[in-house]
Amino acid sequence: MLRLFHRAVRWSLLSLLGIAAAAQGHSPLAEPQSDAKARAPKSTLAVGAALDGEGRLWLARVENQRLLVARSEDGGVRFSNPIMVTSEPENIAADGENRPRIAVARDGTVLLAWVQALPQRFTANIRFSRSTDDGKTFSTPVTLNDDGRVGGHSFASMALDSAGRVAIVWLDGRDRDAVCEQGGKFAGSSVYLALSSDYGARFSANHALTRHTCECCRTALTWTPQGPVAFWRNLYDGSIRDFALAYLDDGQVKRASDDQWRIEACPHHGGDIATDTRGGLHLVWFTNGATRQGLFYKRVDGVHESAPLSFGDAAAQAGHPAVAVAGDTVVLTWREFDGMAYAAWAMRSDDGGVAWGAPQRLAKSAGAADYPQPLSDGSRIRVVWNSAREGLRVLSLDEPAAARRAEK
Amino acid sequence: MIRLSALLVTLALNMPAAAGEPAAFGVDSLEAIKSRHTGRPFILGLWSVNWCGHCIAELTMLGRLVKSGQALPLVLVSTDTPESAAAIESTLKRLGLAQQESWVFDDDVPERLRHTIDPAWRGELPRSYLYDASHRRETVTGVLDESILKNWLKRQR
Repeated sequence: MLRLFHRAVRWSLLSLLGIAAAAQGHSPLAEPQSDAKARAPKSTLAVGAALDGEGRLWLARVENQRLLVARSEDGGVRFSNPIMVTSEPENIAADGENRPRIAVARDGTVLLAWVQALPQRFTANIRFSRSTDDGKTFSTPVTLNDDGRVGGHSFASMALDSAGRVAIVWLDGRDRDAVCEQGGKFAGSSVYLALSSDYGARFSANHALTRHTCECCRTALTWTPQGPVAFWRNLYDGSIRDFALAYLDDGQVKRASDDQWRIEACPHHGGDIATDTRGGLHLVWFTNGATRQGLFYKRVDGVHESAPLSFGDAAAQAGHPAVAVAGDTVVLTWREFDGMAYAAWAMRSDDGGVAWGAPQRLAKSAGAADYPQPLSDGSRIRVVWNSAREGLRVLSLDEPAAARRAEK
Repeated sequence: MIRLSALLVTLALNMPAAAGEPAAFGVDSLEAIKSRHTGRPFILGLWSVNWCGHCIAELTMLGRLVKSGQALPLVLVSTDTPESAAAIESTLKRLGLAQQESWVFDDDVPERLRHTIDPAWRGELPRSYLYDASHRRETVTGVLDESILKNWLKRQR
């Protein structure tokens, strides 16, 4: 009873704070300071992380409407004092499928891309900043979407090669808005992209990659020997929400999954993509389609594709998968919920995604938690997982035991 | 007895007054809602004010039905957090749904609340559960079809 009463009082306080914030014109998403201890800042648990070529761990996180970057030289035990990237407060999306993206180029440039939510419903900007002095200072953030409209620009992802090329893709509502303003109807969103050839010093004008995509799932991007490849939940026949991929340099869009998930709904549940040194693609995704349901993995080598491999416990809401590759090792991660607590799960293959070891539960958390993310520095893979109670954890998988053949 | 008094506290403190700000939806809230609607049909409508255009499309349709005089036993539950209370309230007001029963998820672990509603629900939105008078329910994933809804309402008379 006491607990219920506390919940009610806490809720009333939150409401009051929310109203006060709204009256001052601030975003209602601002974290209520007085309640910070009682209620973890759930809306900023989604962090960006990357390993650089020297194995250092870089972390981008949002606190009090600022984007902060810190790095660890000892595998995540201690972090440097965080450097503030955004000098002005921004309502930065760092929850669920929207997270700040961080990457470190071979020349040491640190690149950041994030989504700045705007006060109008479903509107946001894609923002970018970089550091050319090993993360000591960051450039003044710029807005990458160049349509000059207050519109939907979100769910960004970023990839780079070793020669200074950078690609950023996102879901963009400008085509839908233009059609709707003329009284027409437009199914879904569009994928837009911006490219740089100088480590992010300048970006090209925005290009449309494709139109009619699902609206609220993260995009994913990887850099292959054939250039950047994007992966996103697309729309087929108006309402089938299956995945597509595209090599950005030739712009050809190819269907990547045939799950026949036909719904007029927002799954809020995207996929991920990684590439190996031979250019093979490794895909993971969620579906609840007529053909199959749950989490799936497959390899795409040119015209050859492996059969979708089911993983994760559907009864435990296995979801939000991610993939990373280092040499012949492929690691998949996902999150489960057993009715009481979250767990970060992973499984590995050491032959390029053919045979897989048993799923491994890496860690648990009883509170709010981000999705686990596998990171590769090209030679090894670490898994980072952020949670409200335990903070950021850097986890390793067990070494391979008897690997079982993947189901054909 | 303890359970009953806990329920009464829930009813007293957490039930939405009438119009206005959403009440906090916790692990016991669905049972409280069902108790309050004992012997009567209701529509549990799950939606989000953040990143869900389909939810707005569905609520726009529901708001239009309400405006046309259709009696709708709506229980709207936003899967956002209490931080979004102001946005939830203003959105429902704009769509003509300010008088409907309104709740918002209040748990650091939203899966816990999803579990109390339906362990098989993976978080897609909008999602509706049509409860008949004996509280047998039909599940609808995605935007409610207006004709399906009207047929269901007819059957509840």
